[in-house]
Amino acid sequence: MNGTWTLTKLVLRRERLIAPLWMLLLVALAAGQVKRYATGIGDIGAFAREMAANKALSAFAGEIPSATPAGMAVWKNADAIYTILALIMILTVIRHTRGEEESGRAELVGAAVVGRRAPLTAALTVTCGSAVLAGALTAVAMTATGADAAGSAAFGAAIAAAGAVFAALGAVAAQLTQTARTAIGVAGLGLGVSYVLRFAADGSGVTALKWLSPQGWSHLVKPYGANDVGVLLLSLACTVAAIAVAYRLAARRDLGHGLIPERPGPAGSTWLRTPLRLAWRLHKGLLIGWVAGYAVAGLVFGALAGSIQEVSRQGAAVEEFFRRYTASPEATMTDAYLWLMALSLGYVAALYPLLALLRLRAEEQSGRAELLLAQPVARLRWAAGHLLLALAGSAGILAVAGLAMGIAAGDVLGVLGGTLIQIPAVWVLAGVGVAAFGLLPRAAAAISWAAYLFVNLFGEVLGPILGLDYWIAKYAVPFPNLPMVLSGEPFAATPVLIMVGVTAALIATGMAALRRRALA
Amino acid sequence: MMEAAIEVAGLAKSFGRTRALDGLDLSVRRGEVHGFLGPNGAGKSTTIRILLGLLRADSGRTVLLGGDPWREAAELHKRLAYVPGDVNLWPGLTGGEVIDLLGRLRGGLAPARRAELLDRFELDPRKKAKSYSKGNRQKVALVAAFASDAELLILDEPTAGLDPLMEAVFQQCVAEEKARGRTVLLSSHILSEVEALCDRVTIIRRGRTVEAGPLSQLRGLARSRVSAELASPPNGLARMPDLYGVKVDGNRIEFEVDRTRLDAALAELIRVGVRDLTCAPPSLEDLFLRHYESAKAER
Repeated sequence: MNGTWTLTKLVLRRERLIAPLWMLLLVALAAGQVKRYATGIGDIGAFAREMAANKALSAFAGEIPSATPAGMAVWKNADAIYTILALIMILTVIRHTRGEEESGRAELVGAAVVGRRAPLTAALTVTCGSAVLAGALTAVAMTATGADAAGSAAFGAAIAAAGAVFAALGAVAAQLTQTARTAIGVAGLGLGVSYVLRFAADGSGVTALKWLSPQGWSHLVKPYGANDVGVLLLSLACTVAAIAVAYRLAARRDLGHGLIPERPGPAGSTWLRTPLRLAWRLHKGLLIGWVAGYAVAGLVFGALAGSIQEVSRQGAAVEEFFRRYTASPEATMTDAYLWLMALSLGYVAALYPLLALLRLRAEEQSGRAELLLAQPVARLRWAAGHLLLALAGSAGILAVAGLAMGIAAGDVLGVLGGTLIQIPAVWVLAGVGVAAFGLLPRAAAAISWAAYLFVNLFGEVLGPILGLDYWIAKYAVPFPNLPMVLSGEPFAATPVLIMVGVTAALIATGMAALRRRALA
Repeated sequence: MMEAAIEVAGLAKSFGRTRALDGLDLSVRRGEVHGFLGPNGAGKSTTIRILLGLLRADSGRTVLLGGDPWREAAELHKRLAYVPGDVNLWPGLTGGEVIDLLGRLRGGLAPARRAELLDRFELDPRKKAKSYSKGNRQKVALVAAFASDAELLILDEPTAGLDPLMEAVFQQCVAEEKARGRTVLLSSHILSEVEALCDRVTIIRRGRTVEAGPLSQLRGLARSRVSAELASPPNGLARMPDLYGVKVDGNRIEFEVDRTRLDAALAELIRVGVRDLTCAPPSLEDLFLRHYESAKAER
């Protein structure tokens, strides 16, 4: 175990900016929500009963552990917290293990006086440690809002457990494949299955399914209600077992190699002969993953539309909900639900063009663009291939989700239209990505992520918690300006045309700058 | 006279406060193999990236194949092939796919020539790029370049990861390209490679050209290096004019002398009595070290 402490410090150093940020986000998600339920709801008991009767809402949020502000906050956001933390754990553990091996840096470290297991131990120490810290901070923050201390401790433990399990599963995935990207895919699939099992358990009422899902175990704790911390022994056992498997695998394989061997590929290609085709080849995997995920999400969202029940429109929070997501007093709860789902698909899909366009920067930085541009390929033609896939890809993702949701909800054209109308708003983000890449290439990644977070700040999760007035959002981000075609508003071309125009202007600016600037 | 393949005069380029190129001159004639030498950080890669239209020069004249490399980049690239010093490939593509892609972007490559080069460089085209070693990635770019029918090859330290056997294959390939009348700009640190292949060389230091011309006419290469074992200590010989870098150790003496003065120097040695004698032309390495060391001293 030589060098473990040194490597742990290295991992800590590399995480020192990002880790406090996500911890703050998770704590805000939990504690920030309590205040809203403490003040925004009339009769919290009646509200909880009404919500609990709604199978669709149960599927998204899980069971209500107790009809208190803290219990409702857990119901509203705990699932998001478990899932986001799990994703962060997977990404972090793989970045510091398989990612390091892939880059060749692990070789440099491995040649120093460092034990064979040290890199894995360092990555697991930091990830599991940060999961425990995130849980503890949340427990403290929840208690500070006036919530019951025992319940807060149970909630904190549930958070830490969800994080630790997926850090350990991520460590296993990192041993299996040769590239970090594939390892993230494998572990992400595990997270997806775990999510769907929990979702199906609460949506169908077959709660036994929850025992099969690591996120389900954290749900079963029921903080502020049963406080059943004993369930977390399952999480602990699973974490320990997965870590043991990861060490066994790590001991048996060679540095830089996976357990799943690499197959030889084609000896040549007659198809691959334009920059666009190369871009398609590079984007295919990411795009297929998104299309599959969006098809499943659309089916599930649509299938749940039938079980949405009308709610009594009392209390400030409920009134605010209808004010946000409907445009006519005749709009039903189902209409509001469908528009909210279409909007959510749009908010998440906005990440796709940004990720796709950051590939351009990665191509430039790695020197692969140089290899291509030394051929008779003009810069704009090279960039246009990636841009086309970013735009068409995000449109395709939304079309597939809209179609799936429409079929499952029994209103194909209406729901498809409501989903497709998100496209211009998503494209505005693509425009931001191109402009950043052209004008400020070094900051392109930071700008892209900041733009995405900014949009979501006014979106459905962070905005309400930070108490941002939704009506400001109209001036800051595109989505609230879209006509709510699924919940009572007629189609209007003006906002759509403005967004397309803004997108075109941003793209033109970015491309013009790309033509003139030096390539790294 | 035919115009030059590359004509660079007074080229300057700064990155922030760092002056990477400071009035660089480079002239490559058509049909020659031109060595482009200089210590690390001298500005070789920056010059090449300007020639490829990836960077824009601050000032100076740059003519590549009769055109402007910045404004006519894509058009000019139809006529050249490039091998970077640090080849990074798309990890999910096989070597064969990359070779075909690069070839087809310039309008296709001859299958027979491609197969022959794969064979000579002993490269397995079915392996994914991520599993290639540095040398194998280099070979992918070399095969793509040699299989093209480009009239100008720009090679930026192309043999950095190759083993001696492959280095020999590379030298054969460059010799063949030259025989076909193609122009090669070869940036390199491997002096034996430069001596074996290049007609003319340009040596740069700190963004400026310090030597340029045919190898045989380079300043300082007109001297011979003499090392002799004499019958008695070479008293007085050390004070002879026209001798450079004289070292005396007992009966041994070492010095450099202009070839035109060699007769006189040898006569002096014979007067003392010669027991052993070697006389060799100075290597490019000597010249190189002289420039590199002065670069270090100025740093």
